[in-house]
Amino acid sequence: MNGVVAVYHKEMLSYFRSPIAYFVVAVFLVGTGYFFTYNMFLSGSASMDETFRNMGILILTLLPLVSMRLFSGEYSGRTMELLMTLPLKTWEIVLGKFLGSVTILLLMTAGTLIDLVPLYLFGNPQTTTIIAGYIGFILLGMACLAVGQFFSALTQNQIVAALITVPVLLSFWFVGHLQTFQVSYTLRELVSYLSFALHYADFVRGLIRSEAVLFYLVVSAIALTLNSSYLQWRR
Amino acid sequence: MNNTTPAIALASVSKRFGSKVIVHDLTFSVEKGEIVGFLGPNGAGKTTTMRMIAGFTTASSGRVTVAGFDMATQNEEAARRLGYMPEHPPLYDTLDVSQYLRFVARVKGVPRTQIATELDRVMNACRLEDVVKREIYKLSKGYRQRVGLAQALIGKPEVLLLDEPTAGLDPGQIQETREVIRAFGERHAVLLSTHILPEVTLICRRVAIIDRGRLLAVDSPSGLQRASEQTNRVSLTVTAPAGALRAELLAVTGVIAVDARAVPGIEGMLSVECQTDVREGMEAAIARAVSGRWDLHRLERQQPTLENIFLRYVGQNPAGGSSK
Repeated sequence: MNGVVAVYHKEMLSYFRSPIAYFVVAVFLVGTGYFFTYNMFLSGSASMDETFRNMGILILTLLPLVSMRLFSGEYSGRTMELLMTLPLKTWEIVLGKFLGSVTILLLMTAGTLIDLVPLYLFGNPQTTTIIAGYIGFILLGMACLAVGQFFSALTQNQIVAALITVPVLLSFWFVGHLQTFQVSYTLRELVSYLSFALHYADFVRGLIRSEAVLFYLVVSAIALTLNSSYLQWRR
Repeated sequence: MNNTTPAIALASVSKRFGSKVIVHDLTFSVEKGEIVGFLGPNGAGKTTTMRMIAGFTTASSGRVTVAGFDMATQNEEAARRLGYMPEHPPLYDTLDVSQYLRFVARVKGVPRTQIATELDRVMNACRLEDVVKREIYKLSKGYRQRVGLAQALIGKPEVLLLDEPTAGLDPGQIQETREVIRAFGERHAVLLSTHILPEVTLICRRVAIIDRGRLLAVDSPSGLQRASEQTNRVSLTVTAPAGALRAELLAVTGVIAVDARAVPGIEGMLSVECQTDVREGMEAAIARAVSGRWDLHRLERQQPTLENIFLRYVGQNPAGGSSK
């Protein structure tokens, strides 16, 4: 675990010494603030439901900007040669980097807590629903980061990494819509199971279903395992 | 690692990328306490070999061991005993020098309480005291190179791999870096790849010459010189008539050719190059032939330079000589 901690620590130092993390966090908070204000004061809905839905789409497009540099940056900076020749296992590198990006996600999430102040002042929201929504949001974000990190390992160009990740994540988000084409029952079940949006909708409604929790964790685990295996294979 | 285990051992190591063979059947070893120079033209396979020893790429066939650990199966154990400085120093531009070195120290398992002392040691050895808190992207090429070296020295590895460590340094820095390597090589094993031939004669005990992925020779610099001496040169300065001198020298057994030129500005004085075969005592025989009749001012046997040896080996390589 010493390796994971060292890589994590290095990642955190790198985030706060480059403008990208600040930029992503700022855009996310401005965006969320806008949606929240619109939903609360213009639509008059004193709940986080709609805002959570907007936040979901927002991180789908913003988190690839966090994950794109994770490995592409190591290749283009020629530092991969250092990481791969230090006494580190590939999974330690992968996990250390993942935990670093999840920390950025948690910071982004924490920034939205300020929205709860007017919500509790002017409305009567359900605390458990809000907690469920936040859990879903973090799990969704983790899956996005893991997928983005895997694609980042495939190319040394950060922009390419982001450009692959965004459509892949959007496909996972919108794949649920395919259930309207009622071709076969199995296919319908499959696309609804694969949908990031449908699982997320459960959390937003206040349901913490073990199936949905497991779904995001399994997606993250698969992406991270592929990531680690790919690095090992690349030797 | 016990004393009989070589620090680095390559046994029939090959590396192929697709159908292209980059390194072909390489076998050599580096012992503890010796600095071995790894010489070869660009594209000879030096960096690929270094990368296989460091564990960045795996060998397509053959076996690489570092401190007795097989790089294919005990990669991590080997990595703990290895310091590697790649051709391009692998630096994190956004970190400052001490943060970067601290990261490497932590990964190499330097105990937390000893990290500060260890960083002081390597920064002192590589003269980095002035830039400890400076971001790496602000550093000059020379400093970047030295941060790369400092990184490799962390944790006192048993084996040090240096891929062109003095590239981009000014003469003063080159001198300092050589001293660091020399001091380190007294107790550890160092494999040093370089284009700079004098560097090899200055600090390396043995030299491995590689071209087009094939190992052409491994020997001490003086051993290589002896082995490559098919002809010798003896040069002398003498005051004598050219024709008579030439006849006299050619009469000496073992002299193959004589080239005599007048020394400009000094009447009657000749600068002479004799090409001889490799038998012992040629200098004495030539001196005897000349000194009784004419004034001999200077006589010396010329050693072949490592440049010549290197070019001769690379030129003889049946794979087709230098690739660039």
